Amino acid sequence: MSTISLRIEFGGGLELLFDNKRSYRIDVPSLVPKDNSTDAENLSTKETKPVDVDYLIHHMRDNMLKERVELFMEKDTVRPGILVLINDTDWELEGEGEYRLKDGDEVVFISTLHGG
Amino acid sequence: MSSCENPNVDKDALMPRRQKFDGKTKICVRCKENTGNVVIRYSVYCKTCFFPLVQTRFRKSLEPSINATPDGPRKKALKAVGSLVIGLSGGTCSTAMLDLVAKSYFAPKNEPTGKLKGGKDHPRNSDKGVWKGKAGISYVEVCGAFPGEKDRTEDIRAVVESYSNSNFEFLPLRLEDSFDSNWWKSVGGDLSTSAQSLARLDLHLVNSSSESSPLQALRTYLSSLPTQTAFYSAVQMLVRLLLLHTSASRDASHLLLGTSLTSLSVNLISGIAQGSGYQVTEEGKEEWNPRPEHGMPLRIVRPLRDVGMKECTIWDWWCKLKIVGEPRSLYSGGKNAIGALTRDFIFGLESDYPATVSTVARTCAKLTPKEGSDEICALCERPAQHGVQAWKSRISIRSYQEVSSAVSGNTRPPHLTEEEITNLTKSSLDITPTSDHPFSLTPLLCYACHTLLTSRSSRGLAASLPQGQSTGDVPLPLWVRSSADMAISAHSHESVPLAVKMSRREMEKEISEFLLSDE
Ligand SMILES: [Zn+2]
Ligand SMILES: [Zn+2]
Repeated sequence: MSTISLRIEFGGGLELLFDNKRSYRIDVPSLVPKDNSTDAENLSTKETKPVDVDYLIHHMRDNMLKERVELFMEKDTVRPGILVLINDTDWELEGEGEYRLKDGDEVVFISTLHGG
Repeated sequence: MSSCENPNVDKDALMPRRQKFDGKTKICVRCKENTGNVVIRYSVYCKTCFFPLVQTRFRKSLEPSINATPDGPRKKALKAVGSLVIGLSGGTCSTAMLDLVAKSYFAPKNEPTGKLKGGKDHPRNSDKGVWKGKAGISYVEVCGAFPGEKDRTEDIRAVVESYSNSNFEFLPLRLEDSFDSNWWKSVGGDLSTSAQSLARLDLHLVNSSSESSPLQALRTYLSSLPTQTAFYSAVQMLVRLLLLHTSASRDASHLLLGTSLTSLSVNLISGIAQGSGYQVTEEGKEEWNPRPEHGMPLRIVRPLRDVGMKECTIWDWWCKLKIVGEPRSLYSGGKNAIGALTRDFIFGLESDYPATVSTVARTCAKLTPKEGSDEICALCERPAQHGVQAWKSRISIRSYQEVSSAVSGNTRPPHLTEEEITNLTKSSLDITPTSDHPFSLTPLLCYACHTLLTSRSSRGLAASLPQGQSTGDVPLPLWVRSSADMAISAHSHESVPLAVKMSRREMEKEISEFLLSDE
């Protein structure tokens, strides 16, 4: 199964949910289930799509998140107040969750909930 | 959550989440050249244009308030009458604010190129600074109120020192300083001999001989508060007053707070929900007068009030600024407090409908209280409305006995004795303070603070507080004690009606037109 390599960074205190590590390098499959389920076993029986940010978020929830899912996700996407930058650009300009990830992409998640 | 329709009627009636970016063009609206990097309230900006955009909004919010009198048609040089104090919590917005202040007004004079950035008329290039003396950067450590939390003073000190600017002075404070007479003296406060007076929760002031450490006093005070909402509001209020009195002691004319557009909207809505509607315009623009001879009128400015949380976050990220403050809101300490609930709502709103949040702030800026005010609340030191307690006694049921007989299974609030509850509702119209009828704090409080100290909740207080606190004397922050001292000594010269309790008949008369007839 072919994979792509990504760099994930956290800011604004969000790293606290991810083992207090600010930076990760991870591999994700280049083809993933359309329903974003992350158990690779029955991939063959499912409709697939090229890996996108929506899948990445589910992958992070299922494989990287250490605690408090509700502080990271809400309704199948990131919780309001979490900012996503893809290669230094606001993900709103890149199609948000539908952005198709490429090998070497850098995705940054920053919490704006830090206040004051 | 963020819907304008009644979701019970029709699922399809949910207001569609508006696309933040229409996908038409990714070109920056400002330079019309570069590909955009960020969407701010439906507009696309490139990274190069983002920084001047935020800085311009910051300066536009701050600079009109710098000179003592507002600018005439000709722009005068920026010259403040006093010094500057910056409140730094280490959070997203105040970290961005400190950076903006440093870059706009305190940048080293000699740029490496030898050329003055921004031209010779730029405020940071004028010979003398905009403010007098050194800028104080003040941090209030609140871990005393949250047992188990890390003390971050040294982390914040490192942030301040990272600017290696000789015009910056770090001023660390602690929440418990509010109860520390050494701090109070250091900011020029005085206390008369009756200074040991403490208030009990019936809001009657008593003299207490018991001495406790400032930290113990802080914890007793906070744990005496009736609700979780009151607890968080009280912490915020202590932070604010510590900053105000510290600023006054440095002859500051300006105190800058890192309140963004987003958090301003949160504060406004949650403030109104907690009864401070009268002070709603204060959140946007505020002036505070220190005690006579103890400083000059202080302008409290929120220079990020037109900058959203998103812009602050991106500023910090792109400038590689370290966010070292306690991420309390991330873990939503006190998530059922009104403040936290409002915050979640506004953040959801900002994320789905970015323009609505600025509408909240702008609408609130248009509100003005119906009547003026010449009184200052002893606890929050904000303008207080006249006759609050008379009004409150007309609109609320304050007698506990009536309520408890009507509602079965309800128990008396744990921190009040029956006697205290009776006193709370008793007339104090005709009294001069004596040992039987001690002076009450009530007439010195604004509506919100009176509510903060007395409103009861069906739920208990935050479990994080030390257990088994005595229900007796509750220490008061030192500025309250000093205001109470002044009021008591003024009272001994004239008899002031302190509170009016209405009889049942009077109350009935007051509401008669709203009552249904018996037939
Ligand atoms: Zn541009
Ligand atoms: Zn008040």
